[in-house]
Amino acid sequence: MEKFVTVICTGYIRIMLISVFAIPVNAQVTDSVKIITLDEVVVSSSYKKTNNLNSAQHIDVVDETFLREYFTGNLTQTLEYIPGVHSMDIGSGFSKPMIRGMGFNRISVTENGIKQEGQQWGADHGLEMDAFGVGRVSIRKGPASLLYGSDAMGGTIEITQIPSPSENRFFGESALLGKSVNGTLGGSLMLGLKKNAWYMKLRFSEQYFSDYRVPTDTVVYLTQRLPIEGGRLKNTAGFERDLSWYSDYRKGPYYTSFAVSNAYQKVGFFTGAHGIPDASRLKNDENSRNIELPYSTVNHLKITSRQQYAWDKFFGYWDIGFQNNLREEWSRFHTHYGTQEPPAYNADKELEFSLNTFSSSVKMKTFRFERWEHTAGWDLQYQQNHIAGYSFLLPEYNRFTTGLLWLSTYRPNQKFSVSGGIRYDYGRLDISAFRDVYLENYLIEQGYDSNMIESYQWRSYSVDRKFGDFSGSLGIVWNPDNIHLVKVNIGRSFRLPGANELASNGVHHGTFRHEQGDASLDSEQGWQLDASYIYEHKGIHLTVTPFGSWFNNYIYLKPTGEWSILPHAGQIYRYTGAKVIFAGAEVEFDIDFFRCFNYRLAGEYVYNLNLDENIPLPFSPPASIRNTLTWKYKYVRAHTEWQNIASQNRVSRNEDVTPGANLWNIGATVNIPVGGIDVEITLSAQNLLDTKYYNHLSFYRKVEIPEPGRNFQLLIIVPFKSKIK
Amino acid sequence: MKLYLVCLMAISFVIFSSCDRDNDSDTTKPVINLIEPEEGATLKIGDEHGIHFELELSDNMILKSYKADIHPNFDGHGHSAPLKSTSSETVDFHFNKSWDVPGQKNVNIHHHEIVIPANATPGNYHLMIYCTDAAGNESYLARNIILSTEGGEEHEH
Repeated sequence: MEKFVTVICTGYIRIMLISVFAIPVNAQVTDSVKIITLDEVVVSSSYKKTNNLNSAQHIDVVDETFLREYFTGNLTQTLEYIPGVHSMDIGSGFSKPMIRGMGFNRISVTENGIKQEGQQWGADHGLEMDAFGVGRVSIRKGPASLLYGSDAMGGTIEITQIPSPSENRFFGESALLGKSVNGTLGGSLMLGLKKNAWYMKLRFSEQYFSDYRVPTDTVVYLTQRLPIEGGRLKNTAGFERDLSWYSDYRKGPYYTSFAVSNAYQKVGFFTGAHGIPDASRLKNDENSRNIELPYSTVNHLKITSRQQYAWDKFFGYWDIGFQNNLREEWSRFHTHYGTQEPPAYNADKELEFSLNTFSSSVKMKTFRFERWEHTAGWDLQYQQNHIAGYSFLLPEYNRFTTGLLWLSTYRPNQKFSVSGGIRYDYGRLDISAFRDVYLENYLIEQGYDSNMIESYQWRSYSVDRKFGDFSGSLGIVWNPDNIHLVKVNIGRSFRLPGANELASNGVHHGTFRHEQGDASLDSEQGWQLDASYIYEHKGIHLTVTPFGSWFNNYIYLKPTGEWSILPHAGQIYRYTGAKVIFAGAEVEFDIDFFRCFNYRLAGEYVYNLNLDENIPLPFSPPASIRNTLTWKYKYVRAHTEWQNIASQNRVSRNEDVTPGANLWNIGATVNIPVGGIDVEITLSAQNLLDTKYYNHLSFYRKVEIPEPGRNFQLLIIVPFKSKIK
Repeated sequence: MKLYLVCLMAISFVIFSSCDRDNDSDTTKPVINLIEPEEGATLKIGDEHGIHFELELSDNMILKSYKADIHPNFDGHGHSAPLKSTSSETVDFHFNKSWDVPGQKNVNIHHHEIVIPANATPGNYHLMIYCTDAAGNESYLARNIILSTEGGEEHEH
């Protein structure tokens, strides 16, 4: 550590510091590229450790090697190997991340410093990101509103670029992926150039997958037992195409980057879980690769850029971004109300959401040469949501948020630091009303009175709300020696209620519940206390991260006991705030032995309770443990893993208990040098025993669709590079 | 310093463990046993006696209410709009009514309150029964029924 600091203080390094971007001068922000440059100088300090020394919150870092060895073609499913992170799946292809039991809008995913904005509130689609193109991931479990504002309440997943090579070169990589469980065929090609001040990368990826295999022959939908023919889940095939460009330029104290990416996904919905159960729709169509109605498509376009300049004692940067998330659901035209005719154009387009997001973030930071370091920041975000389609789910809205933040760290000596910060956010949400005239006609036909019609015909109310929220954190990092690291942090965070939580009113097409918003809901607010202890000595590594949090207005769908008069709906579920606690811990232990072996144990547990009702919250991840034994020798690395998932008996109302499971996974990676190129081949198998089990967090769980069966996977990566002048 | 840290760690563990009290709140759904009409039953249009409806409900705590919902399922492929001819003299049959059964754990229901009017469109329909308990736990079941002018084997009671 002392060596590390000494090096920093030399003039040479200082010049380097200025010339690279993203300098870890404050105790909260993880900035990757800069730290890497330091790594090249100070070999003893790992990226992960450096990151953890600089933040009072525990940060899990997933590097490129790990991402490759546990590659699934799906980033979220790979991150499940990190204790505390779960994936909420829709079929075999797409997943949404969850951290310590919080998902949807309660966590943030950022890439190149800009928060990814899709339709996070929805359970039936995934994270729109190219898994092949992800270089490095940092995971922050716990409140991060201080850094990212609303939504980063439960944690963040930060995706950053791998630093550019130091010497001029032309480089690239081609990757091939094959999976047996759903017939995945995927590939990716990347070409890059580093020339003096310029660095650029172009990547193109595609993945095709078929209906996935499940170890079952029946599913239960709306109390009816339906057959699964041919062992495959009909119409769960999908397709993904991603294109991305990244470039940066640095000269002296100036640095700039520019990135454009487009991710397109199309995935079929299991026919038996959409609309009304009917065995005739599940007949084997002898084609496992076709995508028929109903299906969904998502296109995510993202443009981000950074401008950075370093002065003598401080530096500043400005990130701007534009994103368009276009999500569509296609399903054969259907209606509950006879007077609605199919639209003349795109008759089967059920829903369309087009969300535009403009983001701006300015940060000024002092360099870390003295005992104090400070950061000031100003964030801005503006969103517009447009809708189309013959059905209705979410209203149109405009959302504006802005926040000012200040962070300081005091470091009296090299073993101890205190850091704290405060942030204030202003938010405004303007939601448009939506009246369903077909529903109105139906209610008139059925002879309901005018009061009843008035309360049901509005699928969304006009709501214009302003919010103001404080967030903050205070924490310590204590590093008595190179072996122990102790951190304690307390943070306050918040989340603005979403348009669905404030204004919705009607039957949700996926859950068949009458869901009703409450226009008077306040922001969700919470406090979280978390601690971490890291022990690192002689091949033994231990990380323990306990946490406890309290929310005074946690918004959830509460069954009201009032019957809805709408066809196909039971009681009304209303978005309601409750006092809620979360508590739990993650443990990670690994030990090197007999030179070539490593044993890793990673476990996690989350407990939550709705204090108002004294029942658990829905979608609580079950406890789980992974035992992994790795053998490494020269060019070969092999692992075997036993994963134990506990049963989840703590369920919310109208949620089913999910039994536990034991799973075996194996994998091996070989690096074969061929003519100066290091070809990497990874062969792995998941769910080796073809165990039938359920994911409590899966969208398909309620239909009793088990998780995919045994899967064999092959990943071949061929990198290449050549020096240029 | 060390003591301070130990204390903080201890506090977080206390929070962690103190939460682990028993969950004594009711999350058990009521049980619906619909005896009549049966799956695939044919019901007579215009029968003034009403549908013979027989239902058993039970709950681990206290029942609250149940609801019957009948709506058309004409094409057998979900809820597509029926191709209606404007000259048609029949109307699609929709039924939506709830009954309270408060304060009971088990209840046997038998009534003829669901009357299918003579002008109802014959065809395939869905019958859905929903039941809630006092805590808000809900269960439901779906059945396919057929409305016909020829009439089913409706018994007299």
